[in-house]
Parts: sequence; structure tokens; C-alpha cells
Amino acid sequence: MTIFFRNLVQNNVKIILTRNSDSQLFTVSYRNLSILPSVYDGKEDPAPKFFSSNVQVLLRRLTRPDFAKVFRKRTNSGRDVLKTPSYKFLTDEELEAEIAKANKRADRLLQMPPIVKIHQPINEILSEDPALIGYDNVKYLFTDITFGVANAHRIIVERDPDGILRSSDHDIRKRLNQTYFPIKGRKLREPIMFTDKDRLNSLLESEKYEFVLDRACIQYEPDEPSYQKITSITYQHIDMNKNYDMLRSTRHFGPMAFYITWHQSIDNLMLELLQTSAVREAVLLTALRHEIHGDLANGEQVQALVHQILPTPIQLSKPDRLTEEDIELDNKCVECIEKYIVGNSAMKSQQELALQGFREYYQQMIELSRGLKKAHGNA
Amino acid sequence: MLPPASGTGKFYAKAAKSIRLIRQGCTNRPFFHISVTHRKRLNSQPVIEQLGSYDPMPNVHNEKLVALNLERIKYWLGKGAHVSPPVAELFGLAGFFPIHPRSYMNAWRNRKTTQENIAKQMEEEKAKETANL
Repeated sequence: MTIFFRNLVQNNVKIILTRNSDSQLFTVSYRNLSILPSVYDGKEDPAPKFFSSNVQVLLRRLTRPDFAKVFRKRTNSGRDVLKTPSYKFLTDEELEAEIAKANKRADRLLQMPPIVKIHQPINEILSEDPALIGYDNVKYLFTDITFGVANAHRIIVERDPDGILRSSDHDIRKRLNQTYFPIKGRKLREPIMFTDKDRLNSLLESEKYEFVLDRACIQYEPDEPSYQKITSITYQHIDMNKNYDMLRSTRHFGPMAFYITWHQSIDNLMLELLQTSAVREAVLLTALRHEIHGDLANGEQVQALVHQILPTPIQLSKPDRLTEEDIELDNKCVECIEKYIVGNSAMKSQQELALQGFREYYQQMIELSRGLKKAHGNA
Repeated sequence: MLPPASGTGKFYAKAAKSIRLIRQGCTNRPFFHISVTHRKRLNSQPVIEQLGSYDPMPNVHNEKLVALNLERIKYWLGKGAHVSPPVAELFGLAGFFPIHPRSYMNAWRNRKTTQENIAKQMEEEKAKETANL
């Protein structure tokens, strides 16, 4: 047995063991991807936390929306001709109005797919009539197609060959809703990229995360187990390969951040933030953790800091000059992160190293901007 | 131009109405609309309004699909529309009406024939066994 296991280890180039919140081990081998999906099926419902305004604000800010990416050209599907951009001269007021419009459109594009608990099966028997046994040897499905009823509230019942009239289960409901009220882009049969593990795997290996997540959003309802399985596999793949940047400025970053925070595995993301010297976002991430789990020692301090960070503009790239307020805020952030690393991190040495690197870089930046100020003579 | 199968919406207020199955489909492929029409009109004539559909051929999942616009059906029932027996049977199976007596009749007739068939098979097998002996 041990020999077999050793062989297994040698065969797979790399085996990473990561600790999950449910103290369940999942193995990842690079030869053939085997991530165990985890769905929101525990006792606790993630929806109230996900929809709370504090968490929404944090997730939106962590998305780091860059309008150049939010409004990038995608495919021309559904459009015959791509529109050529138009250039206009605008007054200040008109420009402000246009920017407000663009912000609204970005909000729409960045609307996060909801995170909810998986649904319970429907087992509602409406009537039993043994005298109907033998009426037919197939099921009858009855759909109420009354105008203006939402898909979720539509009456769909089935009469089984044994005479029982019952409410249909979710898969049948979904199929019939799609039959009578088709949703554009959703297929009646599950696309093969979701059913075939190898194909999903190859998509993930070629880093087509957004395509997978977008399509999963159309194909499934957010409370379906298959949706949550596919998204969880994708999120874990992103987390392992640190491809966070591919999801930034898309609507999927928030749910991913929520997912990894919910499952207590934010260390990789935290390390990435520290390495790219985004300390403010690192503080926001700790605040997110505190909102969801409430397990930080310096929780109140973090929350106070979040209120200072949120009004500041989003840093899409490293700033080339620092004001005194910036320096003060960033120093507070560094202190906060230090406490977090000591108290709650599972990747202490690496994160401390990254933080130390940031400190050195930041010291240089401070000296540079103070020197520049002095040289300009307004110190 | 042909009138739409979904109905013309034109009707005589005082004329008797009937909710019935209108065969659409084609040769060897029946498909029915559940429509409300004047009672004296033929099924080939334009209907007042389509209220649903019924596909009598089982699909790949071995199911027969029935769609009912319950809101409009209730409206026309309220207006005193008559319901043809096949439609009443469907409504009964859907739990919208009481089960139609003909459904029960078909059910016990089917049960009876299956029992008879089983008995016949048993007899045949017995006959074979005795012949072999």
C-alpha cells in the first residue's frame, strides 16, 4: 500500500495539500486536475452576509474596476456591425453627466451573480388517486403558462403513472420553463463543457475563466448544485494559480473573493495583494473576513480603517507620488496587516516577507516624493 | 391571409363557446392546441383564443407535455364556456377539475387488459411446458 502511494506521489509531479474550512483535504495534481468542488450547503446560509451592504461595498472595491477593461470590446455576437466610436466636444456639465452615465453602465456590467444556499428538493404530493393506476404508462407534465408569472413561481405539476399528482422537481421545472419561456443563451441540454470533466479541465488550463463563469451564469440558476460546483472548481483553480488579475474588473471577482473568504483560504490572495503592494485592498480583504467570520482580534480597528480607505480613489496602478495623507493611511494599513499576519495568517513567513518588501519599496517612495516636494520648494 | 392559430380574438358575445383540442401537427404527428372557439364552429375554422397546448407523443424523457393558460381558462369558464371531454380529462389530471369519469374508466380498462394479458402469457407458458414434457 505504501509503495503504491509512493508511486502515486512520484507519478504526479506535484501534490499540494490545502486545508479547507471543513477540515477536509483536497488533492491537486497537475497531471490531471482533481479539485473537489464545495457548495454552499452547510447549516449557514451565505445569502444574508453576501447581500449585506458592508460586504457588497467591500467586494465591489476589491474588484478594482478599471473602465478600460469593463467597457472593453468583446464579441460582436448579436450585433451585425461594430459601432465606430464617436468623438464629441463637451462642456464640463455634459462631461460630468456622461461620466455618471458610464458609472451607471459599469454598475450594471459589474453586477455580481448572487451567492445563495443550494435549493432543497421539492417533494410535495398534491393528491393521490390509486384508481388512476394504469391510465397511462407515461408521466403528464402540466405547466401554467399564464402571462406575467415569474419562472420561479410558475405552477408546474406532474401526474405520475401511479396516479399521484405532485409538484415537479427543480430539473423538470427548469426544463419546462426553458421549453415554454426560453432564456437566450441557455441550452435545454447541459453544454458538454460542463458535463465532461476533461473539457472543463482543458478550458481551465487555458485560463478561459471568464468564459466558463459567464456561461455558467446563463446556463444555471445560482442555487443549483451544478452551478456552485463548476464555479467552485473555477475559483479554486484561479486561487491555486494566482490568476486573480484575470477576474479583476469583471463581475466574478466579488463572488470569488467571497467564496475563498467563506472557505477560510484567503492567504494566497492576501499574498498576491501584498506582493503587488496593494495594502489598502489587503486591509479591505481582512475586513471582509471579519464581516463574514468575525474572527479578527483587531476587527474594530480594521472597520475604522475601511471607512478611511473607501472614499479614496481606486489605485489601478502604483502611485508615482504620495501626499502626507496617503503616507499616514498606508502606514496604518501596514500596521493592521502586521497584526493580521501575526494573529490569523496561515502563510506567515511568506506574507511577512512580502510585507517587508513593500515597506522597503514604500520607504523609497516616501523619500522620493518628499524630496520632490522639497525641490519644488513647497515643503 | 390565414388567421393565426393562436386565435383571432373575434367572437359573438351571446354565442355558446367551447374549449376543445384543435389538431395542429401533421400526418402521423399529432399535436393539439387547447383553444376556445364557438361551439357551432368546425375545428378547421379560426378560433377565438389559444389557451394551451397538448403533445400526445411522449418525449425522450417519456413525458407528455401539457401547457395551460389557467388565467384565461378561468376567464372563459366564467363566461360559461363548455369544455369538451378530452380537455376535461386533461384538466382533471392536472388537478384543475375533478378527475373525469372517463379517466377512471380508461384506467380500469387498461388494468383489466394488462391482467388478462399476463394471465394469457402464463397459460401459454404452461401449455409450452406441458407440450415439452
